[in-house]
Amino acid sequence: MIIQAIFIVMTLCTLGGAVGVVSSRNLFHSALYLILSFFGVAGYYVLLSAGFLAVIQLMVYIGAIAILILFAIMFSRESAMNSAKESQANRQRWLGLPVAMGLFISLIAVIIPVNWPIQQTAPTTDMVRDLGVAFLTSYLIPFEVVSVLLSVALIGAVMLAREENPPVKETK
Amino acid sequence: MSFPILSLLIFFPILGGIALLGIGKENVKGIKIMAFIVSIFELLFSLPLWFSFDKTTYQMQFVERHSWISLFNIEYYLGIDGISILFVLLSALITILCVLVSWNSIEKKVKEFFVSLLLLEGAMIGVFCALDFFLFYIFWEAMLIPMFLLIGVWGGPNRIYAATKFFLYTLVGSLLMLVGIITLYIQGGNTFDILALAGQHYPVKLQLMLFWAFFAAFAVKVPMWPVHTWLPDAHTEAPAAGSVVLAGILIKMGAYGFLRFSMPILPEATSAMMMPMLVLSLIGIVYGGIICLAQTDLKRLIAYSSVSHMGFVTLGIFALNTQSVEGGILQMINHGVVTGALFLGIGMVYERTHTRKISDYGGLATNMPVFASFFLLFTLASVGLPGTNGFIGELLILLGSFLTKPWVALIAASGLIIGAWYMLWLYQRIFFNPVNSRWNGIKELDAREIATFLPMVILIFWIGLYPNSMLEYMHVSVAHLLEQVTGNTAGIPSGVEVAVDTAVKATSHLPQVSH
Amino acid sequence: MPIIIPTLDFAALIPILAIITTGLVVLLLDIYVEDKAVLGYVSLIGLLATAIACFGLLTQTVAPTFQNMLVSDGYSLVLDLIFVVTATLSIMIALSYLPARDMQSGEYYALLLFATSGMMLMGAATDLIVVFLGLEIMSIALYVLAAFNRRQLGSGEAGLKYFVLGAFASAFFLYGVALTYGATGSTNLQTIAMWFSANPAYAHNPIAMVGLALLLIGFAFKIAAVPFQWWTPDVYHGAPTSVTAFMSVGAKAAGFAALVRLLLVSFGAIPDWRWVISWLAVLTMTGGNIVALAQKDVKRMLAYSSIAHAGYILVGVVPGTPDGVKGILFYLMSYAFMNIGAFAVIALLEQRDQIGSSIESYMGLSSRKPLLALMMLFFMFSLTGIPPFIGFWGKWYVFWAAVKGGASWLAIVGMINSVISAFYYLSVVVQMYMRSPTEPSELEFAPLSLPVTLTIALAGAVTLLLGLWPTPLIKLTALGIFG
Repeated sequence: MIIQAIFIVMTLCTLGGAVGVVSSRNLFHSALYLILSFFGVAGYYVLLSAGFLAVIQLMVYIGAIAILILFAIMFSRESAMNSAKESQANRQRWLGLPVAMGLFISLIAVIIPVNWPIQQTAPTTDMVRDLGVAFLTSYLIPFEVVSVLLSVALIGAVMLAREENPPVKETK
Repeated sequence: MSFPILSLLIFFPILGGIALLGIGKENVKGIKIMAFIVSIFELLFSLPLWFSFDKTTYQMQFVERHSWISLFNIEYYLGIDGISILFVLLSALITILCVLVSWNSIEKKVKEFFVSLLLLEGAMIGVFCALDFFLFYIFWEAMLIPMFLLIGVWGGPNRIYAATKFFLYTLVGSLLMLVGIITLYIQGGNTFDILALAGQHYPVKLQLMLFWAFFAAFAVKVPMWPVHTWLPDAHTEAPAAGSVVLAGILIKMGAYGFLRFSMPILPEATSAMMMPMLVLSLIGIVYGGIICLAQTDLKRLIAYSSVSHMGFVTLGIFALNTQSVEGGILQMINHGVVTGALFLGIGMVYERTHTRKISDYGGLATNMPVFASFFLLFTLASVGLPGTNGFIGELLILLGSFLTKPWVALIAASGLIIGAWYMLWLYQRIFFNPVNSRWNGIKELDAREIATFLPMVILIFWIGLYPNSMLEYMHVSVAHLLEQVTGNTAGIPSGVEVAVDTAVKATSHLPQVSH
Repeated sequence: MPIIIPTLDFAALIPILAIITTGLVVLLLDIYVEDKAVLGYVSLIGLLATAIACFGLLTQTVAPTFQNMLVSDGYSLVLDLIFVVTATLSIMIALSYLPARDMQSGEYYALLLFATSGMMLMGAATDLIVVFLGLEIMSIALYVLAAFNRRQLGSGEAGLKYFVLGAFASAFFLYGVALTYGATGSTNLQTIAMWFSANPAYAHNPIAMVGLALLLIGFAFKIAAVPFQWWTPDVYHGAPTSVTAFMSVGAKAAGFAALVRLLLVSFGAIPDWRWVISWLAVLTMTGGNIVALAQKDVKRMLAYSSIAHAGYILVGVVPGTPDGVKGILFYLMSYAFMNIGAFAVIALLEQRDQIGSSIESYMGLSSRKPLLALMMLFFMFSLTGIPPFIGFWGKWYVFWAAVKGGASWLAIVGMINSVISAFYYLSVVVQMYMRSPTEPSELEFAPLSLPVTLTIALAGAVTLLLGLWPTPLIKLTALGIFG
């Protein structure tokens, strides 16, 4: 009972935070909402008895990424701190709404009736060790490949952020 | 392993065309001479076919067979029989005339023009020699590109529209045929060998489907009514050489396709579809003729007359008896010669006047008597005057179709009358009406132009007076073809002899047409 | 608890490792080398080495390795070769294109190589997790490459659009992976197949079906299939032409690589997806072609036409036979040559400060640059599918597989679409050959520099020669079987 209550709270955090991220007109507020959303996800990990992942989620996503985003916003031009004039939605939202709703309903309709097989035993007793072993055995390739992915992302980010080229010029 | 003469014939002009690329752009004269030499040698190379062809067998001759793409069992398989040999020779001849008629009339991109022409020649000969359905298809499609360029680059004012229309019409047809080819391949034991495909009896329903798939490709090329509408545009806009190739060879390929593929491979469907095909042919004959009467454009008129004449050809082919089929094949040659010659003539006169409107002309006979005589001969051959080749072909077709369905022959005969009407009227309007003073200083034909006409004149009389020299090449092959279609082996040659004899006798006591 | 070290056969990784190593070397050299073109040539050498490694591996059998997450079979190696060809030709274009626009930089080549490694991973992956990682490596590199021309808003727009919609597609894909895992208990392609054969009663398990549907949506985004193609024209048009050439072929080939393996290996026993793919193919061919008809800009027209080509390739997926797979490989390889060749011509004719090239700039090209026009003619007719060019054989192969697999109607739809496509491909030829040139002073061309000229010549020669004699490529793609 109490677990379900926690689940509902965490879901509200996650979804509410996500809605806040995209609907807020202020970039700074969006970043704060993002933290809320990350926090909700960490809660899920706890509920799934994956305490280690929950801690990692808190440390990496909230402790590092979200804070970096906040720093970036505060360091950047002032306008980013103020609310934008334009609405966050565009005229296609009334087209998008039914599509998204349709997808949502059909997914719900499929997922709800399923009798998911639930493991009765606790997943693992020594999560950190098991994760480490998995990364070096069964998931060796994904583990290594992620490093490539991260370096590509890093190079890409540097590439885009670098202000070496002459400023953007409107064509025609 | 004998000498690969057919490969030589296909690749000599192609290589010649590529070699032409090596000549400098400015050396226009060198380019023309080189192209002329290539085309002359091509004809010389093709002569051994005529002399060493074995007329007593329907088997393919001069066969070359190599595996090409083994995964799909596609072969490089060439050979000719009595049906295709004449077209190979005609292609070689017509190309020479095209080179000659383009001598002065092509002014821009001369090199590219002759390269396209020679590439086209190679592909055309490939179409007639291919015995592998896929190889045939490749040549058939590859031909489109140089022809598209010939019309589109060197054509008249509306050339882009005409070239695109030509390309798209043909492409639609060919692609439907390609689906048919794939189906045939899967049903017919994983082979594209035309001879092997022909021996099998496919379910009738499948045959009918394939028949219409092939019809799409061939009927567009012929062109049969109602898919003929690209032809007037293409003919009108193409340069003289393009029109000549189009009339002389290209549109024969459709009819050749019926003979080579539809009939032997799909015999039941051919018999079943005989009536619809005859009716379409009749519509083509009459409709094409009537439309001709309304034309004001010289080239367009001849183009529509092609629709009418090709109606005779398909009529002969689908009347399915020896006389008519032989007549159809002969008429294809005749039409190639005569209409080719007419387009040559129009090309020459257009070079001088730069107008195609019939009403702009008049009284040319006084200024260009030699030209007028040549043109008269071609006109008369076109309407089938006895003594000329047109007569023999039409007679055989009418005789043959009369044996099959008398009323068909009756309606077709009315087409002849319309034909005489519009051709003679055309002649009158151009050459006899009051002299248009604009053409007072017009130049008479020069030696090159007369030389261009001479082979045509010779052919007109040769076929007209001694048709057997051509027909004897096809007797056995046509007999075999009809045997495949009807499954009937008996009593084939007698009719031919009668018909030919009649034809020859009919011509012998007629006065010679003078020029 | 002892740790069991899995079987590791690094031979399977050689091509991918070679590419990644080259990318890293390029990054390192970037610090020391002043002339950035050198980095392009270093990349080419790395690609050549990769190609040699692929040929070497083709003759060997390498068992699935790395806990069955990766395989080096004929299929993946032929695909590797396709990616190598794509990368090589695009780098050659870039070697001319970038310096002409002051965009020359080492990162460009490094990112392009990393993207290639991502594509290779997708081809070799036998686990959905690895597929996803490959997809992300490729996509992230491409997002940045699309936005590489910082001086043009169009390029930035292309990058952003590609990023937003690509991320969206990735989300769909991941959701699909999750649902498939929920239904079958595994992300391994082979294990999923085994689960289906062990539980035939669950063949139409709605969770698995929805999972597959979401996976398909993710792939459809990547291969630009209608109705998931909206990003394509803007991205292809806005991105630097050398990048467009690369992603129009590479990203598409990679998407198909993983899609085909997923459908045939995991869902081979459940034929329901055939209908979905059939209709996807019809929509994609027809939609792409019809919109391409209306384009006035050649670059944009080729962007739409590349949608149509995805449709033709989908036709080869439908029968689900080895023939179809080989046909797809053949098509992709031929498409690499003819499409990149066409983009190379566009890159050459593109104005320095302009995106794309209007069809007018092709007017009378045959008089000004006859050989260039001839090559473009080759590419256009090849893309239409007219013999004797390589494009004809590609179409023939997939349509043949479709007819043989009982989907003749799709082949017919494909043929009709070929005719529609002929219309706009021809219009380029018409412009080049049948219209007289505009005044030369109006149009300035980037000087013909060697690498892009070589690209065009190479692609043109292959387009014609393999069209006349396709057997080598047929033999190569015949090796493309699942290990």
